[in-house]
Amino acid sequence: MASTSKATVPGGPSLGRSRPRYGELIIKVILVLAAAVSVATTIGIVAALLEPTIEFFGTVSVVEFFTSIEWGPLFSPPSFGVLPIVVATLLVTIIAMIVAIPLGLAAAIYLSEYAKPRVRKIIKPVLEVLAGIPTVVFGFFALTFVTPLLRDFLPFTLDYRNALSGGLVVGVMIIPTVASLAEDAMSAVPNSLREGAYALASSRMIVSLRVVLPAALSGIIAAIILAFSRAIGETMIVVIATGGRSIFTMNPAREMDTMASFIARAGSGDVPVGSIEYKTIFAVGALLFIMTFLMNYVSAKVVRRYREAYE
Amino acid sequence: MSEIGTSIPNVTVRGPEVPRNIQALDPVFNVSGLSVFYGDYAAVRGVDMVIGNREITAMIGPSGCGKSTVLRCFNRMNDLIPGARAAGKITYHGEDLYGDHVDPIEVRRRIGMVFQKPNPFPKSIYDNIAYGPRVNGRKKGMDGIVEEALTKAALWDEVKDKLKQNALSLSGGQQQRLCIARAIAVRPEVILMDEPCSALDPIATTKIEDLMQELSRDYTIVIVTHNMQQAARVSDRTAFFTAEVDDSGVRHGRLVEYDETSRIFTNPSDKRTEDYITGRFG
Amino acid sequence: MTVLTSIGKAASPGPRQLAGRRRPVRETVFLIALQFSLVIAIAFLAVLLAYVISKGWARLDPRLWENMPSIRRPENAGAQSAIVGTIYLMGLTALFVIPTGVLAAIYLEEYADRDKWYNRLLELNIQNLAGIPSIVYGILGLGIIARVIGLGFGLITGALTLALLVLPVVIISAREAIRAVPPSIREGSLALGATQWQTIYRQVLPSSIPGIATGSILALSRAIGEAAPLVMLGAATFVAFNPESLTDGFTALPLQIYNWIGQSRPEFGVLASSAIVVLLALLLVMNSVAILLRNRYQKRW
Repeated sequence: MASTSKATVPGGPSLGRSRPRYGELIIKVILVLAAAVSVATTIGIVAALLEPTIEFFGTVSVVEFFTSIEWGPLFSPPSFGVLPIVVATLLVTIIAMIVAIPLGLAAAIYLSEYAKPRVRKIIKPVLEVLAGIPTVVFGFFALTFVTPLLRDFLPFTLDYRNALSGGLVVGVMIIPTVASLAEDAMSAVPNSLREGAYALASSRMIVSLRVVLPAALSGIIAAIILAFSRAIGETMIVVIATGGRSIFTMNPAREMDTMASFIARAGSGDVPVGSIEYKTIFAVGALLFIMTFLMNYVSAKVVRRYREAYE
Repeated sequence: MSEIGTSIPNVTVRGPEVPRNIQALDPVFNVSGLSVFYGDYAAVRGVDMVIGNREITAMIGPSGCGKSTVLRCFNRMNDLIPGARAAGKITYHGEDLYGDHVDPIEVRRRIGMVFQKPNPFPKSIYDNIAYGPRVNGRKKGMDGIVEEALTKAALWDEVKDKLKQNALSLSGGQQQRLCIARAIAVRPEVILMDEPCSALDPIATTKIEDLMQELSRDYTIVIVTHNMQQAARVSDRTAFFTAEVDDSGVRHGRLVEYDETSRIFTNPSDKRTEDYITGRFG
Repeated sequence: MTVLTSIGKAASPGPRQLAGRRRPVRETVFLIALQFSLVIAIAFLAVLLAYVISKGWARLDPRLWENMPSIRRPENAGAQSAIVGTIYLMGLTALFVIPTGVLAAIYLEEYADRDKWYNRLLELNIQNLAGIPSIVYGILGLGIIARVIGLGFGLITGALTLALLVLPVVIISAREAIRAVPPSIREGSLALGATQWQTIYRQVLPSSIPGIATGSILALSRAIGEAAPLVMLGAATFVAFNPESLTDGFTALPLQIYNWIGQSRPEFGVLASSAIVVLLALLLVMNSVAILLRNRYQKRW
């Protein structure tokens, strides 16, 4: 607050501070420190990844890392072409998205445009429960239930661990992410838009698909990107039901290692600290971090745009 | 001129004839050249007025004229709005309210406030009243303070048997009187009221108005109201604000006329006041 | 739509009615497709639960919580160290994350000026942290907390890693709870001469505690279901003792489950299922408490 003149303190009690309030200041410092923990976390993650990654690229050439299709850092002789595990990661993620996008969006449209409050009250908690199942449980289910089931039905042979059942179950795992974020976006579409369309004798399906869906598009895209980033980083399902040998393949029936499952397996094994194998974990971690970071960033940007559109 | 007075027959004007010379007042607040900005936007420009001790001063005018904004400068509640800034000068008993040494918390202990919507805390009636003294460091004699404040706010008889009950169980009018009692319990000199009856029914409104009259013996009261009748009924002085559009098309509030209430309502000196009072305001 | 048409019917009895054609087939197909999608998700959940429970039921006996894990004798193996480890982890994680998260949320909601770049950066950073895969937090635990800070591979490192993992969740939910307290309560308190902290401590926090508690419990239930970051801390080997100090090695239910899944003998698959049932039961209890709190103390303004 600006003051235009010097204070003149008359006789009698002044409006100045009757006693100093150091407590308020100390508390503010504590609050800032608590908030700073989140910044320290980010710095810690970057610091944890950076040094071993730089050292890794001191030994392994960047060109080999990004172009070779031989991945076997734990073998001898080791090979460091990251493409097979990147491709495997994307394959699992794409299978997951094929499951999650239609099912998640359908759930969102149903909840936002069709469901009566009573039905919503039942379905929302079910989706929350689905979102709350630990991923190790999903992994167990994928390995011991989904894969045998698929083996009975599919005409081709499936490895014991394979990208298909891992991807399918990751897809189910991220349905709640897509559904709840997309529903938020659709619920944010002003009712006047819907009413306008209904007044033109549109049916509920037309209103959902031609009015609400386009209006909520950026929010839906943000939801899909976020789900994509969760699928890329998903570890336990993949390490249990998909991961193992890394071969360069796009055949979803095969066993393959993704980035996250490689990190988990190598990290839990007896890799000597400071060895090139150890540094590989961090290099792959850095790549995974950058990929998810970029996707989260894009998603946040898209969300901000749709917020601006309606506020 | 008496024509105007007769055109509003329902208005009865209170108070003895006070000499017109504003400077002769025992001033509590002295406002000169006050403008309030939100960011770059000046919500109110160039307000000059003096608030007299133990008087009821009403601020009236159409919505958006900045009367609440000015009121919230008196206890520095505007400090809480990011980007809000006051220019000009307000003194409280001669002391610059916006001086560098001034502690807004100390200001609010001296100058209480009652809001448009009753906002009791979700606690017991007793704890609502005791809250102010407690945060100001008082620990003993709380029962006496609570009883005194509730009595002054004409609420004691209604709630004395249910002091432990949640304050949100009271009716709207009772809640507002509780908020007044809560303000009194801190023993302020001034009570600011920001449209205190706008959320209440007529009966509750009458009770609050009677209470204001009663309280004006001990307290200086400044009230913002959109209800002209109310200003005429309860206040000693009335400030009429309006919203103006300047050459560049920006709307801002201005103080048009400030005078004894009897004069504002019977013999205003400004055409805009006259139009507003007689209902010819656009 | 059906309501509208039926009203139309009643209002105009003439020959040209508003009843219109029947609902087109594609409308019906669309609705069925939507419902079918939901049914798939719900059926998946139901089958998963039924499968795990039916498979694990036989082995769901006191051996599970009285005995220690073993790789050689599945008939005697239990998960006591894992159950105890999970409870310790939960307590320690709560101890680290709830105060930090709530204080950070208070700063962001009550003190931070959103026009300042560093506060906007802080918010962006928290959003971003919420999206980082849990395995990367494992790398943080391994590279920084265990090695650089030197806390080793014990309980405290596991709890700190999980605390940082769910910190964004706690902050975001606590902020929502704090934001739900109406500004009029803050104004009322400040107008009585209360300081900002008095206002927060005596008015804002008590009113937002149910919301904060709900969010914190949900965050903790996410933390105790996590296996990936703990796998990185080498906590996946068989631990046949309960941790007795903060730096003791430990295991936890999700880890024990992961471990048993990796064993080839089918008895271990059954053991994994029974441990899953225990873990899900624990999560169910926590979530019920959270939902109960949310419904019971939902604010009345």
